[in-house]
Amino acid sequence: MNWKVNFGVTAGVCVLLPFMVPQYSLTVLIEALIFGLFAMSLDLLVGYCRLYSFGHAAAYGLGAYSTALILTQLQPPLPIGIVLAVLVTILAAIPIAWICTRSTGVSFAMLTLAFAQLGYAMLFRFRDVTGGSDGIVGIPRPSGPLGITWFQGKTGYYYLVLGCLLGSYLLCCAIVRSPFGAVLAGIRENEAKTIALGYNTRVYKIATVVLAYGFGGLAGALYAAFAGFASPELGGAGTLIGPILGGVFFVFLEHELSQVTDLWPLIFGSIFIAFVMFAPEGIWGILTSRFNAKPEVPNSASGKETSDAAA
Amino acid sequence: MNFLGFILAQCLSALSQAAILFFIACGLTLIFGIMRIVNFAHGVIFMLGAYVGYTTVAVTGSFLLSLIVAPIVVGAVGMAFERIFLRYLYGRRDGGAYLLLTFGLAVVLSELIRIIWGAQPLSAGIPDSLRGIVVILDQPFPLYRLFLIALGIAAAVTIWQFLERTRAGLLIRAVSQNSEMVQALGTDVDLVRTGVFGFGCAMAALGGVLAAPLVTAFLGMGTTVVIDAFVIVIIGGMGSFLGSLIGSILVAFVQVLGAYYFQDLALAFMYFLMLTVLVIRPGGLLGKED
Amino acid sequence: MMTRQTVTRRRILKGAVAASALAAAPAIMRQSTAAIPIKIGIPTVITGGYALLGSQVIRTCKLVKKMTDAKGGVLGQPVEFFYQDTQGDPATCVRKCQELVERDNCRILSGVIVSSEAAAMLPKLEEWNAIFISHGNGDGRLTAELFVPRFFRANTSAPMGARALALYLKDAPEKKFIAIASDAAWGRSSNAAFEEQIKKVGKDLIDKIYAPVANKDYSPYITKILQSGAQGCYVALQGDEARAFYSQATQYGLAQRVQFFTEIVAQADIKVLGKDAIGLMGSSRYPLTYDIPQNKAFREAFMSEYKNEIPDWSDGEMYQALMILFAAIEKAGSPEPMKIVTAMEDLEVTSVKGPILMRKCDHQGENQGFVVKVAKNDKYAEPIAEIVKIYPREVNTPDCRSASYSK
Repeated sequence: MNWKVNFGVTAGVCVLLPFMVPQYSLTVLIEALIFGLFAMSLDLLVGYCRLYSFGHAAAYGLGAYSTALILTQLQPPLPIGIVLAVLVTILAAIPIAWICTRSTGVSFAMLTLAFAQLGYAMLFRFRDVTGGSDGIVGIPRPSGPLGITWFQGKTGYYYLVLGCLLGSYLLCCAIVRSPFGAVLAGIRENEAKTIALGYNTRVYKIATVVLAYGFGGLAGALYAAFAGFASPELGGAGTLIGPILGGVFFVFLEHELSQVTDLWPLIFGSIFIAFVMFAPEGIWGILTSRFNAKPEVPNSASGKETSDAAA
Repeated sequence: MNFLGFILAQCLSALSQAAILFFIACGLTLIFGIMRIVNFAHGVIFMLGAYVGYTTVAVTGSFLLSLIVAPIVVGAVGMAFERIFLRYLYGRRDGGAYLLLTFGLAVVLSELIRIIWGAQPLSAGIPDSLRGIVVILDQPFPLYRLFLIALGIAAAVTIWQFLERTRAGLLIRAVSQNSEMVQALGTDVDLVRTGVFGFGCAMAALGGVLAAPLVTAFLGMGTTVVIDAFVIVIIGGMGSFLGSLIGSILVAFVQVLGAYYFQDLALAFMYFLMLTVLVIRPGGLLGKED
Repeated sequence: MMTRQTVTRRRILKGAVAASALAAAPAIMRQSTAAIPIKIGIPTVITGGYALLGSQVIRTCKLVKKMTDAKGGVLGQPVEFFYQDTQGDPATCVRKCQELVERDNCRILSGVIVSSEAAAMLPKLEEWNAIFISHGNGDGRLTAELFVPRFFRANTSAPMGARALALYLKDAPEKKFIAIASDAAWGRSSNAAFEEQIKKVGKDLIDKIYAPVANKDYSPYITKILQSGAQGCYVALQGDEARAFYSQATQYGLAQRVQFFTEIVAQADIKVLGKDAIGLMGSSRYPLTYDIPQNKAFREAFMSEYKNEIPDWSDGEMYQALMILFAAIEKAGSPEPMKIVTAMEDLEVTSVKGPILMRKCDHQGENQGFVVKVAKNDKYAEPIAEIVKIYPREVNTPDCRSASYSK
């Protein structure tokens, strides 16, 4: 029950934060939370399943642009717009996942990258719809349903994002603890054995990719509605590496360092190197541990046991 | 309008582009083949080569000298990085740590370049001897690009022969297939790794020196080029030298012809190509499934 | 092993919360100091592809601060600049503006480099209660479809650059033209404007080429230009792209076969290309050699402050934008955003580019058009752009809220 207390405390603090910090910090916080959601979606793929994806920015872009188009063209209530955008992302992710899971390892990663870059190129090809390099500006936050408007202000939006993040997190934890999650762990540890046990691992992998795209798309959707615009640079090479590091921490570190000095990339890179050399569990611990927690099980040694238990 | 001359000019353009891509891609694929490391710093190494080349020319006035000095200097930097940092990680099963480490290197190096050389782009002149224009079937074509093609062919043949015919080349190929066995047979595998990493960096640096007269030396010149190199290595098969050669040529042709005929989709062509190759052969053209 | 991993995760979550509190702390402290100086936020590019343009903006702002401090400030109040790095990305730009407005209390924004960054900022100006004066954003739509009352453009826009060139080309020997532009907002605007203008003066535009942003290899495009049979080539490329294009074009000897006309002549590019740049013609957003007292004074102040540096186009435009801003503040008697807006409408200021009228109808500054040619000049260490023709501002500025010219 330990983790539930911890989770509750952290969530509680997050709920109280808007009253403790000034307005502009709230902006950074919202962005950090969105980023955290995105990192979590990538973590599901990379950390939990060891499916290294270089193209996850595509999920973000899909979510952001779908939201942009839906909200500017159809003007549905904001929550409905976001849900629709996530649905669009999930639908688009199915064929992408199907093709990418044909390969494994680095080929899988490069295929995901190919789709991300193709998506990027498509943004420019269909510039009449997507605005090309300018993106789409002036995305509204329509009210409703039932005239609800609390998410139109910044503090209200913060709670919307927090709610989505916490909800997604709990959902991910539930998935990981479920039999489905156990099979995923099995695929991670020893795919051949899992296949031998009779599981169609390809279907599980496709489902995971689609799920991860869904959460990533949610992050993109939340951002587009928050910032009021969607632009292709969001999906550029920069966002490739960022999420691999660990969402919130990275955003804050970058933010604070760039305030302090123009040399921030130097310091950032050095911290990075030091981290990897001397505290490997630090960064990888973040990535691989997010969902692995089964804290009530004492003496459990490693993932292998988990997959055996699931079988 | 001379159609044959035009086609020839396009082919030569593509080949000259392929030469530069090849220098970068072959380094990347060799490093991966030996060490199973995806070197994220490769684009910055390329940029470092361009800047070191610029300084060499500024100090000595000789472009040809910079073609020798820059790869050696940058190769040495690469070897130092490998010995001091990468070596630490060899025990770990996780490939991810390498990604992060080389990423860290990329960030630090590019900042150092900015600090040492400043934010202003630097003009790297071609020597007057290479400034000429050759008229081929009525089409003007830069002598410099012909020089690139010649250098590319020479390098490709030399490296290929080195890998196939020499003992050192044999060792390198052996280590990429089964490093433990080679170690057991008494070779210092660590030395091979250091050497190959240094060589890979040297090749990328050479690419940088050669690219500078085309695009001038500027911050960030490596970012797009490293993605191209990745795509090439994937298409050709990770770890396959011949694959990186074929991949470079394919990608260069697709890019040049794509840009000419299908402006709007120019960006997408290379990825269509990679997608097609991977769907048909998931390990790349000449690679093995990872 | 499980427990150790969980501990790490908890620690990181807590760390994130702590970090956010840390982020808040300095802000609370900063807000307590009184806001007496006139604060100008400069969200510009410090790292990234256009870092050079950003560094020029910053150096001019520093020069201006020195000059105004010596004169006792504006309205007796000192001017303070706040610099932030947007990396050329609209999302980051909006975020940095948010900070400048909310944390540093800047109500005036300037120095934005990329047109798409500017476009993203426009809808937010009202929410921020801020005004934005552009020194270098060229996209025609900013004073047309995207117009908002809190935005002013002091500089020559892309359509205006194309216009001056087209007017000049009316009497030029070249009849057939081809255009190449960067596939970005500014480039598209520039090409479209040039096409409209060149056809108006009765010349032929064979083709419009768009190269991807940050493109490296221009050989296919150079071949296309060679194949087209065009006598003149309009170039709307900047920074890294321009240098790559000109370097490679020189290697093909393209300049001997085709006359280049560029939308922006940048001293930084001339410096790098050296003698290869001589003969290049184009529109200039800041004519270095313009012989009026305001420009002479600026040139002398700049070159004595920054030894060996010739002011580039964004130095001149930034300086002019700031001079116009200060004139408006003094006319308004206050640095309040909406008061500045009222004062700036229909304001006429003579600065380094001559008399500028800040039009009320769309907040576009009416600038004269300058066509220049790069040549060696004994007074300077590098080749520079010399004025070939000047067009009056009424002729050079488009119709209201438009990128087109009805005259």
